[in-house]
Amino acid sequence: MPSALDTIDPAWAWQPFEPTAEQEWNRTLAAHLFRRASFGATAAQIDAAVKQSPASVVEQIVRGSADTSDFRRQCDELATTLLATGNSQQLAAWWVYVMLHTANPLLERMTLFWHGHFATSAEKVTDAASMLAQNRLLRRYALGDFRPLVQEISRDPAMLVYLDSATNRKAHPNENYARELMELFCLGEGNYSEQDVQELARCFTGWEIKSGQFRFNRFQHDSGSKSVLGKTGAFEEGESIDWILTQPQTALFIVGKLYRQFICDEPTPPPQLLEPLASELREHEWQIGPVVERILGSQLFFSARALGRKVRSPVDMAVGLLRSLDGTTDTHLLAADLEQNGQGLFYPPNVKGWDGGRAWINSSTILGRANMTARLVGNDKTRFGDGTLDEYIARLGTGGPEQAVDLLSNLLLAVPLPPPSRESLIGICRKNANQSRGVAEAVHALATLPEFQLA
Amino acid sequence: MYTTRRKFLATLAGGSAVISLGARVPGFLARAAAAESGGGKDTILVVVQLTGGNDGLNTVVPYNDDEYRKARPKLAIAADKVLKINDTIGLHPAARGFSDLLEAGKLAIVQGVGYPDPNRSHFESMDVWHTCERKGSPRSTGWLGRYLDASRQSADVDAPAIHVGSEKQPLALAAETVRVPSFGSPESFRLQDGDNGPLRDAIRALANGGTAPADPLLGYLQSSTTSALAASDRIAEALRDYQTPVTYPESALATRLKTVAQLIDAGLKTRIYYVELDGFDTHSQQAATHAALLKQLSGAVRAFVDDVAHHGYGDRTLLMSFSEFGRRVAENASEGTDHGAAAPMILAGSSVSAGLVGEHPSLDELDNGDIKFHTDFRQVYATLLEHWLGWSSSSVLGGEFKSIDALKA
Repeated sequence: MPSALDTIDPAWAWQPFEPTAEQEWNRTLAAHLFRRASFGATAAQIDAAVKQSPASVVEQIVRGSADTSDFRRQCDELATTLLATGNSQQLAAWWVYVMLHTANPLLERMTLFWHGHFATSAEKVTDAASMLAQNRLLRRYALGDFRPLVQEISRDPAMLVYLDSATNRKAHPNENYARELMELFCLGEGNYSEQDVQELARCFTGWEIKSGQFRFNRFQHDSGSKSVLGKTGAFEEGESIDWILTQPQTALFIVGKLYRQFICDEPTPPPQLLEPLASELREHEWQIGPVVERILGSQLFFSARALGRKVRSPVDMAVGLLRSLDGTTDTHLLAADLEQNGQGLFYPPNVKGWDGGRAWINSSTILGRANMTARLVGNDKTRFGDGTLDEYIARLGTGGPEQAVDLLSNLLLAVPLPPPSRESLIGICRKNANQSRGVAEAVHALATLPEFQLA
Repeated sequence: MYTTRRKFLATLAGGSAVISLGARVPGFLARAAAAESGGGKDTILVVVQLTGGNDGLNTVVPYNDDEYRKARPKLAIAADKVLKINDTIGLHPAARGFSDLLEAGKLAIVQGVGYPDPNRSHFESMDVWHTCERKGSPRSTGWLGRYLDASRQSADVDAPAIHVGSEKQPLALAAETVRVPSFGSPESFRLQDGDNGPLRDAIRALANGGTAPADPLLGYLQSSTTSALAASDRIAEALRDYQTPVTYPESALATRLKTVAQLIDAGLKTRIYYVELDGFDTHSQQAATHAALLKQLSGAVRAFVDDVAHHGYGDRTLLMSFSEFGRRVAENASEGTDHGAAAPMILAGSSVSAGLVGEHPSLDELDNGDIKFHTDFRQVYATLLEHWLGWSSSSVLGGEFKSIDALKA
């Protein structure tokens, strides 16, 4: 299996998906697209999608809903109000709310992607306003131009605090930001030398914070000549960042992470499979949106190599469950549950962000994830289409327990439900039907299945 | 050269543990081997990972060294503040728990530990310590995971290793077949499986699954679910009614080590426990942070060693701590230190050969501003595998590494 990727023809992989008799455009593929690109979709959204072409659905998801300005303004106001508490845990609940209700879920998914990429934790950055400002910066460029994103994140107060840039002075440079900029943000480990780290650190001396804003302090800046990645110069005002971005490795590094985000967790793709995407990124002047659109509309994305080949993140699991069933909940409780399961928003574990894949899973999170789902469907504050889950499913006109379980599988599972498990779930549904919690209990049980861990 | 040597050794290895053991070591090791084959060996290794790169130079301090003072005008620990071990070396004043253990003959400090061509990335270097492999080699298993795979007996009911922590599981414990349970707190490590009987039974039956799925990823998820349920039941049982006269400090690490002590006392057959303490990446304003960390670390370790001794497991329990690298000798302008190389490792328990092991590395001969190692970390691992766990180290470590004198003979 691991070496099988070498046999994929890169030219085929990234061609637009053409439905065939074996791989037809149906509810399963549409659900897959929404699971990966959005946070799942309701039965009605999936029904509507299968009536259109896959390319057109992808295009709508990437372009986003034009009519989100009111929602965006409300969310901004809400966030600003929350800042009065000065607490980033409030911000986490706010972000969960945005993810649950936005008409533009891909934008939130990509903002979360960059949060994991330029990981900054409120554990160290105690100023919630800075964390919110960084979140807005990530959202602004989430599907846009990567180059100003890197320039601005290098001057972002939360980042300056998190990686100690704010105290980087010419007398004896602090190497923290310089190292992570190359290792984790742009090039990947092994594509620079220790000498490069030390020289690049000199470029960022004097990049400070004053009154909560970026300030260049020329008295602490080393304006001498530096030698970074084979080029010598003064590298003033972020020129070093431009120079890093011209390295051939940078585009490959970024599309490699997008590949892992959207196609599959493992194995690591060979460079030749990524090269067409890297070229696309360079040709599109570092615009992320077109590359994401190409990935989501590709043959590879709709192939067996991508379907069900990712382990769900806690956010995917919980927000996906709710969005698939038109659900709302107490987002403070949910944000705390996400943190318990290893994905505290605004609190990534370290500068490398979340590893994802199998790293989401251990004995504690296996139970914790099932408990999170049980709490979600068992909580009175969780409403599905403004009613209980059983009422909601009944209203979709599913008929009996068999149809209800099959609908839940389509909405919530990325891989087929094994027949014995299906029978058990139908049994749970039926046994409790007159207590009006049959479907809720079936979802509670479903969440303990290994199949439920996959996206 | 490294690779060549390993390939060469690979042709020799592959034999049984007993053969490679017998070829090298006499005395109590032969005892260990015999016990192993009879399944009677019951020593326990507790690993404490210091995440972020602990500043070894301010942990074990060469307080009379002029080079030390020159390199650290702001951060050097004053000679009259260190907890002196001898005329040249002392412990950071916050590491009181360590100096108490040293006096009690229960602490060994292995100096100058590292590896060739050190990597200064947190994640890469941590992977090296976890897997004993460099980038580019396959690294799906960790050194402890390989030990677990090899030593697992089919009759074992308890998890062979337990990770106590809510971080992601360390790669050191990743194994081919063995699944190591991880949990942050015992309270959260329970499946909410419904109050009513039928639902509970249905959930248990579902979660424990039927046939193993053919897909490797799904198979991994299935076996993780099954082992999580088993471990959760066993641990809930084990943690009931623990009493100890030892007062642990109030800290995250102390709480975790206390949980480990409880599990040991409950008679679990688990041989490996793993806990972490994060926050050692002190690039800026290091002094206060580092002091607090060393206080937490040494206080928790001391309480743990006392506790297991009190319960009669002192002779069976050994604790090892490590970090992915030390820090640069010269401080930076933010009153912190950047990523470095070699550093000391701590071993604690009544079976250690107490005191300093090996010389403090010279500050006159640095490698690009960093401390050079003289003891490979795999030598420490080999010592623990061979002389403590009673297992052949060469197949686990991918090569032959000379043991060091850190344990009582």
